[in-house]
Amino acid sequence: MNRFNFLLLISLTSALFFQACIKTNPAPADENELITTVKLKFTDGGSVQTFQWQDLDGDGGKAPTIQNVALKINKTYKLDIELLDESKTPAKDITSEVREEQDEHLLVFTPTPSNLLTYTYGDKDSKNFPIGLTGNVKTTAAGTGTLRVVLRHQPPVNGMAQKNGTPIPGSSDVDVTFNIAVTN
Amino acid sequence: MNKQPFHTQYLLFAIYTVCYLLRSTPLFAQNPKDCQCFLRGVVKDRDSGQPIAGAVLQLKENQRFVVADTNGRYTIDKLCQGKYTLECRIVGYKTTTVRVSLEHNAAEENFDLNEEEIHLKDVEITARKVETPLSQSTVSLQGQVLDQTRGQTLGEALTKITGVTMLQTGASIAKPVIHGLHSNRVLIMNNGVRQEGQQWGSEHAPEIDPFVAKRLTVVKGAAGVRYGSDAVGGVILVEPDELPTSGPLKGELNAVGFSNGRQGVGSGLLEGGAGKYKGFGWRLQGTLKDGGNVAAPAYSLANTGVREQNFSAAAGYRNAQRGAEVFYSQFTTKLGIFAGSHIGNVSDLLAVLQNGEPFIKADFYRQIERPYQDITHNLLKVKAFSKIGTNQKLTFTFGRQYNYRAEYDLHGPQAATRPGLLFKITTLTNDLVYDHKPIANKITGQIGLSGLYQFNSSEGRPLIPDFEQKNIGIFVIERYVRPRWEWEAGLRYDRRRLDVYRFVGRVLDPRRHDFSNFSGTAGAVYNASQRLLARFNFGTAWRPPNVNELYSNGVHHGAATFEEGDNTLQPETAFNTMVSVEYNAPRFRAEVSLYRNLIDNFMYAKPQPEPILTIRGAFPYFKYVQTRATFTGFDVSTDWDIVAKLKHSTKLSYLRAYDLGADNFLVLIPANRVENTLRGDLGTLAGSKNTFISVGHLWVAQQRRVPPNSDFAPPPPAYHLWTLQMGGTFGQVSKQKLDWGITVQNALNTSYRDYLDRFRYFALEQGRNVSLRLKWTF
Repeated sequence: MNRFNFLLLISLTSALFFQACIKTNPAPADENELITTVKLKFTDGGSVQTFQWQDLDGDGGKAPTIQNVALKINKTYKLDIELLDESKTPAKDITSEVREEQDEHLLVFTPTPSNLLTYTYGDKDSKNFPIGLTGNVKTTAAGTGTLRVVLRHQPPVNGMAQKNGTPIPGSSDVDVTFNIAVTN
Repeated sequence: MNKQPFHTQYLLFAIYTVCYLLRSTPLFAQNPKDCQCFLRGVVKDRDSGQPIAGAVLQLKENQRFVVADTNGRYTIDKLCQGKYTLECRIVGYKTTTVRVSLEHNAAEENFDLNEEEIHLKDVEITARKVETPLSQSTVSLQGQVLDQTRGQTLGEALTKITGVTMLQTGASIAKPVIHGLHSNRVLIMNNGVRQEGQQWGSEHAPEIDPFVAKRLTVVKGAAGVRYGSDAVGGVILVEPDELPTSGPLKGELNAVGFSNGRQGVGSGLLEGGAGKYKGFGWRLQGTLKDGGNVAAPAYSLANTGVREQNFSAAAGYRNAQRGAEVFYSQFTTKLGIFAGSHIGNVSDLLAVLQNGEPFIKADFYRQIERPYQDITHNLLKVKAFSKIGTNQKLTFTFGRQYNYRAEYDLHGPQAATRPGLLFKITTLTNDLVYDHKPIANKITGQIGLSGLYQFNSSEGRPLIPDFEQKNIGIFVIERYVRPRWEWEAGLRYDRRRLDVYRFVGRVLDPRRHDFSNFSGTAGAVYNASQRLLARFNFGTAWRPPNVNELYSNGVHHGAATFEEGDNTLQPETAFNTMVSVEYNAPRFRAEVSLYRNLIDNFMYAKPQPEPILTIRGAFPYFKYVQTRATFTGFDVSTDWDIVAKLKHSTKLSYLRAYDLGADNFLVLIPANRVENTLRGDLGTLAGSKNTFISVGHLWVAQQRRVPPNSDFAPPPPAYHLWTLQMGGTFGQVSKQKLDWGITVQNALNTSYRDYLDRFRYFALEQGRNVSLRLKWTF
C-alpha cells in the first residue's frame, strides 16, 4: 500500500499548496454605475428651490426618500438637473459625465396631468438634439400631479448613432417620479 | 464530486471465432450442417492487454451462455453453422454485442489446415468501461452524429438527445436543460473534472469547446452518488479520446462555415506517440471561431457576434500497471449581447413587447460592442492510476480550474474600461477512487473520496458576495452481474462548508453555512430477451443552496427583476425514479423512458406582490423560496429501417412540472416536442461514399402549463422547423479521408420564438442558416 500512501500524500499536499494561493482578501462591492440621487433645482429670479429623490443604499434595502415639489402658479422657472452618487465619499458627480457624453443622453420630463406644467429644453448637444440638464418650466393654473424624470442612455449601436431627440432608442438609467403641487 | 476512474478508458474485446474443423475433413465437407463448430476467444483490455475474468458471453439465438475463466478465455462448443449474435457483459463495462458467422468455405474444407489458418475472422469490438450508472438512461453523441453538430455550442449540440433542450439567452448563449432542469441542477464533467464556473446564471453558458470531445454523453436523472452535488437533473460528460501510447502522427482538421452570422469555425487536432518510447503519447488541439450579427427572418440582431479561441494540450504515459497524464485547456470567448435586449427598467421592456420587434435594427456587422461578455476558463488536470495486483486499481485525479467572467454593461459613462460585473472563481478538485477486489468473484465496485475547494471573488455591481467553499464526499458503488439481471447500488455522504464574505455597507459581516447530505442509488438491468432490455433506477441527488440564492440582492439586468436571496434556505434533494425499456429488432429499435423526479426544498425565485422602487423605476420583486416540485415525463426514440436505404427516426419528449407547494405549474419549463427525420442512403455518389440526404421536422408545442401572471408575455405559440442535411466521405476510411456535410437549419426561414429563450421578448429566433462542414482526417 505504499503507492496508495504516496498518491494520498500528493493529493493532500497539492490541495494545500494551491489553496493557499487562491484566497484573496474580500472587498466590498464597488459599483461604478450607481446613481443615488436626482436633484431638481428650480430657480426663479434670485430664489432657488431644490427637491431630491434619494436612495443612498442603492437598489433594495432601505426605501428611497422622495421630496415633494412645490411650485407657484404663472411662473417660469429655470430647471437644472443634478445627478449624484452619494454612496461614495466625497459624492461623485454624475451630471458632468452626462454632459461629457451629451450625444448619447437625453432627459425626458413628463408631467401628469400634462397641463400641470410645460417643459422647454434649454441645452443642445453637438448634433442639435436636446439634452435636458438645463431647461425651463412654465406653470399656469394651480393643481397637483406628478413629474416623471427619465434619463435615457442612447449609445451608438454598430457604429451608428442612436440619439434622435426622441425617448425611444436606448434604455433608462434614471426613471423617477416626484409628486408636485402648483399653488397660488 | 466524484471523478470517473477510467474516464476514457476503453476495453477491447478481441474475440476470435473459430469454427474448428475436424481432422477428418472429407467427412465434414459432406455434412455441412454438422453441429461441431465452436466459438472461443479471450476478453482483453486494450491498454493493458490483460485478460478480464468473469465476463458473461451469451448467444442470443439459443440463450446459451458461458463465463470467461480467470484468463479471460471462454469456449462455446457444439454449435451449428449459421449466424449468431454474441453478447458480452462484464461487471462495470458496457454491454457489447457482435455478430459472428460460423461457416466454412470450400477452401478450408479441402486442406488440412492448422488452427491459425482456419480461423474465420478476428472480430474486434471496442466497448467502454461503464463510467455512468448502468441502470440509468444514458445517451451519447459520437461519430457522424457528433460531427454534424460541429461549430455549434455545447448546449445546441446536446439538443440532438431526446429529453435534452436548451435555455437560451439570444443566439450565442445556450445552456443544456435535461428533463426540464438546468444551471446548478445539471452537472458537467469536463474531461473527468466537474466544471465549476458561474453556472448558476441563466445567461452563463458552459465554458467548454465541444471540439475537445470525441463523445458527449448525457446521463438522465439524478445521479448524485457517482457525481456528487448538482447532479439533480442529470450529468453531461464531455470526453476526449484516450491518449495514444504509440504510433505515427495523426490528426484532423475541421472547417465549418455558417451563412447566418457569416460565422467561421476552424479546429485542428494533432496527436502521436513518442517514437521508440512506447507508452508515451501527446495531443494538441485548438479552435477558432468568429461570427458577426445573426439574422432573424425579418431583421438582423445587432451586436450578436461571437469570438472564441480555445486550445488544449495533453501528454501522458501508461502501461498495463500504471499511468499518468497531464491535460491543460483554455477556453476564451467574447460574446456580444443583443443590443435590442438592453433595458433599463420594466417600462423599456413593456415598450419592446408592445412594439413587437426590436427598436434597434442593424445590418450585418462583425464588431462586438457593449454589452458583451468576456470569459476565460482554464483547466489543469493531472491524473494517475496504478494497479494493485491484477484486480485492484487506484486512480487519482487532480483538477485546478480558473474561471474569469467579465460582463460589460451598456450602462453608464464610467464603465468605459471596467466591466460592470467581474467574477473570478478558482476551484481545486481531488478525487481518489479505489476499485476493490471482486467479492466472491461476483461483486465488483469502487470506493471513492473526493474533495473540492473553491474561492470566488466578484467586483463591480453588487450581485453576490465573495465566498469560499469546501466539500468532502465519500461514496461506494457495487455491481453484481448475472446472465439476465445486472444490479447496482451505491451510497454517498457529502459535507460542505460555505463561508460567505458579505459586506453590509463597508463593514464585513461574514456568514458560515454547513451542509451535509446522504445520497443513494439502487438499480437493475433486466435482459428480458434477445430484443428486450429494461432498466430500473432510483437515485437521489442533492444541491446545497448557491450563494446567489442565499444572498443575491439587486436588480437582475436583462431580466428586469429585483432578486432577493434568503440565507435560511436548506439544501434541495431530488428523488428520481426511472424506468426505461429498449427494444432492438434488426429493422426497428426503440427506447422509452419514464421518469418522475420529486424535488424536495426546490429553490426558485417567487414573484412578490409589491414591486421594488429603484432610481431606474419600479422592478418586479422576486424572492428565493423553497417548495416541493415534481418533474414527470417520458422520452421516446425510435429508429426504423423502412427499406434498406431509407430510415426513419423519431424523438419525442414530454414533461409536466408541478409545484406541489403552491399547487400550480412551474415557470420556464421546456415545451413538449417531437422530431421526425427521414434519411436516405445514396451510397457512392460522385466519388463520395456513404452519401446520405435527410429531412427533419421539429414541432415544439406551446407551453400551456404556466402559472398565471408569472411573466411579462404569454409563452410563444407552437412552431415547426425543417432541417435539411446531406453528407458523405471521400477517401479511405482507414487512411486519409474527407468528410463533408451541408446542413440547412430553419430551412423555410420560419419566424418563431422559443419559450426557453430569455430574449423571446425582444426578437425572433435565428432565421435560415446554411452550414458547410469539412473534416479532414489524416
